[in-house]
Amino acid sequence: MGRYVIGRIGAAAATLFAASIVIFSFIHLIPGDPVSVMLGDAATPEQVAALRERMGLDEPIWVQYLVWAGNALQGDLGRSIFFETPVTQVIADGAETSILLALITMIWIVLFGIPVGILAAIRQGTWIDQGLSGLAMLLASVPTFWVGLYLILIFAAGLGWFPSSGYPSIFEGGGLANLQYLLLPSIALAAPNAALILRLTRASMLDVSREDFVRTARAKGIRPSRVVLRHILRNALLAVVSAFGFTFAALISEAVVTETVFALPGIGRTVVQSILRRDYPVIQGVILVTVCLYLVINLLVDLSYRLLDPRVEL
Amino acid sequence: MRYGYPLGATALALLLATPLGAQTLRYATIGEPPSLDIQMGTATLATTIAQHMFETLYAFDGEGVPQPFLATGGEVSEDGLTVKITLREGVMFHDGDEMTAEDVAASLLRWSEFGARAGILGLESAEATGDHEVTLTLSEPNGAWQSILAHPNGGPVIYPADIVSEAEGEPISPENYVGTGPYVFGELRPNRYVELTRFDDYTPLDAPADGEAGGREALFETLQFIPVPDVGTRMSGVQAGDYDYAEYISGDLYGLVAEDPAIQVKISEAPIFGLMFTNSEEGPLSDNIPLREAVLAALDMEQALQVSVGEPELYAVDGAFFPEGSVWHTEAGTEPYNQGDPEKARQMAEEAGYDGTPLKLLVSTNYREHFDQATVFARQLGEAGIETEMVVVDWATLLTLRGQPSEWDLFMTHHGAMPDPVLFTVVNESYPGWWQTDERDAAMAALTETSDLDERVAAWADLQTLIWEQVPTIKVGDVYSFDIASPNLQTPWEDAPAFPHFWGASTN
Repeated sequence: MGRYVIGRIGAAAATLFAASIVIFSFIHLIPGDPVSVMLGDAATPEQVAALRERMGLDEPIWVQYLVWAGNALQGDLGRSIFFETPVTQVIADGAETSILLALITMIWIVLFGIPVGILAAIRQGTWIDQGLSGLAMLLASVPTFWVGLYLILIFAAGLGWFPSSGYPSIFEGGGLANLQYLLLPSIALAAPNAALILRLTRASMLDVSREDFVRTARAKGIRPSRVVLRHILRNALLAVVSAFGFTFAALISEAVVTETVFALPGIGRTVVQSILRRDYPVIQGVILVTVCLYLVINLLVDLSYRLLDPRVEL
Repeated sequence: MRYGYPLGATALALLLATPLGAQTLRYATIGEPPSLDIQMGTATLATTIAQHMFETLYAFDGEGVPQPFLATGGEVSEDGLTVKITLREGVMFHDGDEMTAEDVAASLLRWSEFGARAGILGLESAEATGDHEVTLTLSEPNGAWQSILAHPNGGPVIYPADIVSEAEGEPISPENYVGTGPYVFGELRPNRYVELTRFDDYTPLDAPADGEAGGREALFETLQFIPVPDVGTRMSGVQAGDYDYAEYISGDLYGLVAEDPAIQVKISEAPIFGLMFTNSEEGPLSDNIPLREAVLAALDMEQALQVSVGEPELYAVDGAFFPEGSVWHTEAGTEPYNQGDPEKARQMAEEAGYDGTPLKLLVSTNYREHFDQATVFARQLGEAGIETEMVVVDWATLLTLRGQPSEWDLFMTHHGAMPDPVLFTVVNESYPGWWQTDERDAAMAALTETSDLDERVAAWADLQTLIWEQVPTIKVGDVYSFDIASPNLQTPWEDAPAFPHFWGASTN
């Protein structure tokens, strides 16, 4: 186990190094530069060139990479060209929103996706199953922004039950009550993902229920509810848990549409806007942190297999 | 105004919401502003925010005429090369120091060397010739000097000398945002908000408010500029009472909000106009003015505006570069505008020796209007037998590509309302398009060599005529954007200015 973890961390470091080179070169290969965006439409090419030089953007790419990578190793991801604040601060600020949003969304997904998936599986072929599968299809196909805009229109602009947009930090005035700002966005974001988990739970429950050991369990006369919970669900969850890991990572980095609709200061929106402005340090920093996140989550998912299934050797 | 949300209502939320209501203006912006050092950039949003902190020597009154603001007046020498400006006394910076001639001279010099509109004034030197007197030396007479000194957008706002000398050509960092305006920089939270707070020691000009000129009074204690990128959310946010003001609502929502008593509609008094530049440096259009005229003859602007804006109340088909009501407004020379005649265009193109080479039309997708207009133009040109090849990129790429003459023949952009023709990008020889002809030089000289407004207006009429003759750029039409506000917000203006300001604004 110990050796396994060390080996995985070594592999992760190599992946990180390769990823950092790819990130850096891809970003600098896109045409366009932050200085012309910053100076605006009226600036002349001479002014753009002069400021590029002052900011060190005219150095060869490999020089810029070495400077950046050297600083990054010491935890300094540079300063945002656009916000003029440290990239670590920009990321930390966005991370709070993104992680909390992802966590609340995961709660909806777990509360809705798994029980309803189980229900659909044990009622396979009935009108309940067909109704729930239809609902899942609907939720998975409706675009998040559409759901989001309607939630705002009904529950914020219409009924006035929730704030329409934005998210003040829970560490500021308002405290945990600020989480109400994340309620509508998390529902919009959960809808398609819960539908996927629902379908996955149902499918793997059905797969497992056809296994020999389930038939044996039933033949031994074990109570049906115990067969479902103890024998089928526990085995079916393996597939669901690995999907959870990726869903959670994806919720943090890909919630850009929801973040845009609800004006949330999250990571997804930050990185998309930074790409449009060519704010190199922010793009590089966010992608680097995201890659780390995926590596860590992957590792945790692999380790959790062992907890769920003692047969898995690490 | 709501003071909490029944479902999520907690004592904490109530505590949070109550003190904010009356004293904070919450302005929903289209996105995050770039650096608020507005000497260094021309982004509209940065100017809208920063004008509350930084001030200019002159300011435009309600008629668009520059009036002394941080200055008390100015005198131009006979040869037009020296301008002596006297400064208002007792003006305090946010850091507690009094503004002196040294600060003004340093700010003007830094702007004219590194600023986004550097070079436009032709400033050779700026010297403090007294505690409250600055003497400017110009490379040639510039009749627009008051307007240039009054325009905050990419313009010469006044900073303390030490901050200017430390920053030089790089944007001033937020911790050093120090100005003389009625609001002080508070906090910049990336993606959350920019917050300004009232400057208690502000020294207002002792004159009634008139446009941007006259006395300014900070009635709101705090101004919060909150990025809300989705237009539907900006609108719902005002309806829900989460924002007091929201900018750039799209034309297709106009019908929804125009009749809503719970929303004030603020149509912009300053139209933005689309421009399609032609390449005077390289390619088939560069030395072929008749071919540019053929392109112009093919274009039907009504169609382009209908597709890109939709709501007829929000656009105007007009070839004049200044809107009606402006002292610079004239229809001189606009006859070739909006012909939409494919047969005539085809014939003109043939006569101009057009060989069927596709024209590279560079356009970005970041501004939907640009893309819609370019699509309409490509079809209209196709009907006239003029081939186009659309080069569709994002805005940052367009800004780079348009600097390379071989990459494009036509590119789409837009232009905000301008207080003086010298601020029009097309008259700048180094602006992409690179319009440099003897006729242009002569017309520009006539415009800048005098300070007499009547003479300058006449010179502009000639220049506008020349633009429609030589076609360095093609105007699409005027687009009136609109903002919305909560019914309780009282603003010191009726229609939204190009850079809406909120000194003098309050809630009732």
